[in-house]
Amino acid sequence: MRANKHLLLWSSAGSLAVLMWAAFSENVLADWRQAQAHVADRLPAGADFEVHLRQIVVPARHTADRCVSCHVGMAPGESGLEGDRIYGKHRPVVHDPAEMGCTVCHGGQGRATTKADAHGDVPHWPEPMIPVRFAAAGCGTCHSHVAVPNLDRLARGSALMDRYDCYSCHRVDGKGGTLRPGGAGGGEGPDLSGVGAHGIPADWYENHLAARGKGTGSLPWKTSFGEVPAADRAAIDSFLQSRIGAPKLADAKSLFNSLGCRGCHKVNGVGGDDGPDLSRAGQRDPGLTSFKGVAGEHSIANWHAEHLRSPAAVVPGSMMPEFGLRNDEIDRVVLYLLSLRRTTAPEALWPRDRMRALRLGEREFATDGSTLYGTFCAACHGARGQGMRYAGGQPFPAIGNPDFLAVASDDFLVAGVTHGRPGRRMPAWGEKEGGLRPGEIGALVGFLRTLGDGAKPEPDPKPARWVKADPEAGRKLFADNCAACHGNDGEGGEGLALNNRMLLQYATDTYLVESIRRGRAGTTMPSFGRGSTVRRALAPDEIEALVAFLRTWEEKK
Amino acid sequence: MSLETETPPGLRGFIENAKRAPRRFLDSMFRSGKPVTDRGRSNFVFGNVYLHLHSARTHRWSLRWLTTGGLGIVSLSAFLITLVTGVLLMFYYKPYPEAAYLSIKDIHFIVPTGRFLRNIHRWAANVMVVCVLLHMARVFYTCAYRKPREFNWVIGMLLLATTLGLSFTGYLLPWDQLAYWAITIGANIAQSPREVTDAVNITQHVDPGGFQKLILLGSDEVGEEALIRFYLLHVMILPLILVGLLAVHFWRIRKDGGLARPADADKRLPLPDVKTYPVFTEAPKKTYSLAAIVKGRTAAVGAGPENTVPSMPHLFYGEAAAFMLTVFVCVLLSIFIDAPLKELANPLVPENPAKAPWYFLGLQELVAHSAFAGGILIPGIVIVGLGLIPYLDREKSGTGEWFGGPGGLRLVGWSAVFGLAAVIAIETVAIRFGWIRQWFPEAPQLLITAINPGTVLMAVYGVYSVWLVRRYNSTRAGALGLFTCFLAGFLVLTLIGTYFRGPNWDFFWSPSQWPGH
Repeated sequence: MRANKHLLLWSSAGSLAVLMWAAFSENVLADWRQAQAHVADRLPAGADFEVHLRQIVVPARHTADRCVSCHVGMAPGESGLEGDRIYGKHRPVVHDPAEMGCTVCHGGQGRATTKADAHGDVPHWPEPMIPVRFAAAGCGTCHSHVAVPNLDRLARGSALMDRYDCYSCHRVDGKGGTLRPGGAGGGEGPDLSGVGAHGIPADWYENHLAARGKGTGSLPWKTSFGEVPAADRAAIDSFLQSRIGAPKLADAKSLFNSLGCRGCHKVNGVGGDDGPDLSRAGQRDPGLTSFKGVAGEHSIANWHAEHLRSPAAVVPGSMMPEFGLRNDEIDRVVLYLLSLRRTTAPEALWPRDRMRALRLGEREFATDGSTLYGTFCAACHGARGQGMRYAGGQPFPAIGNPDFLAVASDDFLVAGVTHGRPGRRMPAWGEKEGGLRPGEIGALVGFLRTLGDGAKPEPDPKPARWVKADPEAGRKLFADNCAACHGNDGEGGEGLALNNRMLLQYATDTYLVESIRRGRAGTTMPSFGRGSTVRRALAPDEIEALVAFLRTWEEKK
Repeated sequence: MSLETETPPGLRGFIENAKRAPRRFLDSMFRSGKPVTDRGRSNFVFGNVYLHLHSARTHRWSLRWLTTGGLGIVSLSAFLITLVTGVLLMFYYKPYPEAAYLSIKDIHFIVPTGRFLRNIHRWAANVMVVCVLLHMARVFYTCAYRKPREFNWVIGMLLLATTLGLSFTGYLLPWDQLAYWAITIGANIAQSPREVTDAVNITQHVDPGGFQKLILLGSDEVGEEALIRFYLLHVMILPLILVGLLAVHFWRIRKDGGLARPADADKRLPLPDVKTYPVFTEAPKKTYSLAAIVKGRTAAVGAGPENTVPSMPHLFYGEAAAFMLTVFVCVLLSIFIDAPLKELANPLVPENPAKAPWYFLGLQELVAHSAFAGGILIPGIVIVGLGLIPYLDREKSGTGEWFGGPGGLRLVGWSAVFGLAAVIAIETVAIRFGWIRQWFPEAPQLLITAINPGTVLMAVYGVYSVWLVRRYNSTRAGALGLFTCFLAGFLVLTLIGTYFRGPNWDFFWSPSQWPGH
């Protein structure tokens, strides 16, 4: 009994000690209590500050964000420590944190009250905070569907804003709308930094013209506003559509739309199929992501950065090429990728851009030819259509080549884009496959023409199939002249695959004959109509025989 | 003034009564008043609704730590702790998918003491499972299941099943990935009789597997119906069953003559401490007519000194100590190790590996080959076999002794070696060389259901124990061997399932070798 009494005494004493420690650590050592004590210590005496748990509850989003228990200055109606980045007020942003909560933009675990848990730097929390330097990616939670042009087009829109003196009245991203000499005016027009999110009035130009006609008398109307040609207006519209109060994000997306990533990757249903769908790339769960081969911190941001630097080192066997991007470009692409978040918010909370894109069928990329080319084609065919070749891969054709454009009809180009080259890397971009609409493919072809300085074939009076020649003669000629690059069976090699069903179906005889005759200056495809020091020229009937031979592949299929 | 003296009527009497009220209240609480003498204490135990499950006096053999290790009391204590913490958790828990997960997050982060409570609840539950298993082993090894305690052993089996059921149903409630996929495994095991009905092609007519799963989940998949079912089972049905069974279990201990002890226990006990020397300080007032209908040699009327001491305080100090020790272990563990909570349950992202609670991982190791054999057949045979032990072993020798019976500790030792060797050998073959499916991909599933590491292991253990029965000419010897072998098998399989199985249930020496890490 004595031993039992001792056991009873000491285990009771031990339990009591543990309970007291638990009470102490919960009521004194808790992270949020320490944070609030820190603030209370630094507030001026007599400041109205109560230590208690703070949270922002947004019932519609099912969030209860207790971030403001430490970041007390960002709690509704509080100011915390003046000017402090952590304990002070939130910097002014479009959305009021008191209404939106925190995690909807920043990620992290809103319900947590310890630092590591709240920031999501713990196992088993799938959505850690977006690093502060990529904070703009948080906009993508809702606004992933803003129409953004490529860099060229964006720069053009911005330059046009300058040229037409829009900045004399309007302010965009902190630029313009300033006072004029003598202190007159300034900011006559509204700030347009967020105009893309609200929608640009379709009749702004007419309204401006009318206002000027009425002669409101103010100086800028007379000096600054004049007529703007439709093409320039479109470029300005396109620029303004991307102004949603997050210039960094728009800029990042613009870069994404210039690199041609969607040639292989789908985002929200539009894009190629060679790479994984990126629609939720910003929401990757670190717990389900392998960080083998990722140098540096094990965060999703760093994973994307390292993966862009060296895809195969991070994902063994990846067929994604190394693009040799600069560090600042990588940062911007990572920012855009992190913005692909698409949380499942109820429709009532969708912003207009998302509603327009997902319900009204609007595009989340500008639909001018230049942007479409940058978005879907540039990665393989080169920013200027010069063709590309990545380490270890086959070359991609130079579709901006003037010789090519001089023989390729619009119909041929449209068919090529729409149906692709089955069995090759070129996907079909028709609405059911890659997701581009006929008008967009038309705009794309229009842009291709600008790459070849407007080169365009004469209207061809001949029928699509007019060559009548002996394929057997062509077989020998092919073996002698073509097989080295195009493969013995036309399967492609250094040169493109000639036995492709879609190519042969849509290429007219004139196109084939002219292509062989002219060659493609600046590429490895020589002109066979002219000879060279090592090769005789082919006679027209020989070229026709070659074409007849190529046609034999069409019959086999 | 004594409490019993009459108080005058009127105001003075009222004041006097008011003064005496506290003491009278205390007095009225206990039927026999304040226990001062040993007899008073015995009466106290007898007359108290909670304490009367104990006998008023306890044999000194039962009080030795070595006799029981206090495992039963520790199990009960752990249950009481889960009961209290569980009721407190119910104030905040919301049994609906996602809301459940968020409510656990809230309990963890903002409910005052919530995180601590949940940790205690979880640790006490684990302590309970461990101690119930150890308690069973103790009862087995000390032959305490023998006549007249056979039925209490069976009640014990039911308590073990209820304990595992409680733990398992609690597993789903946090609605995280861990819970979701563990229960999915459990539900598929419930469905595993289909393995047999499919093989003989009668599933469309008779589908006990599908029925079991439907009963368990209320749906084809783990969802809100399953959650509400598991919740109800966890907080209401199973606790009520457990409390009911516990009452019978304790009552039977008393009615079956206290704890089992060797026939010569009295001789082997050292002389008692003078202070605790048990004497009746007053002549018994009670007639033992009631006690006379109790089986066995109890009611030692007039026998005077014997080797019993009053349960109060001797036994109660032991019980209180065991209880507080359990509390201490639970709160201490709870301070250092949090109960797990993974990501919100996501039916689209299977956990890999998805693991059942640890006490089922031994079975899951067998389930990897055949869900029916590992999940239903073998556990079924084991439970029936355990339940039959007291009815097959009718021997007398060794009752109340650790490892009592022919062979004793030596036999247990060798059986442990044999049991470990057998399970390790069979697992090595299965891990290193695969099993029938890897050798003959076309083999019918029924063949694997019949012949897999689990059934082979059972057969080996069975043959071994039959051999023991013949060699020692004793059922008890066979039981000792078989039970020891099963403990060894359970231990090794559980360890393999817990520590050495990774994604796709492949074998890994350590989790650091798992792919993707």
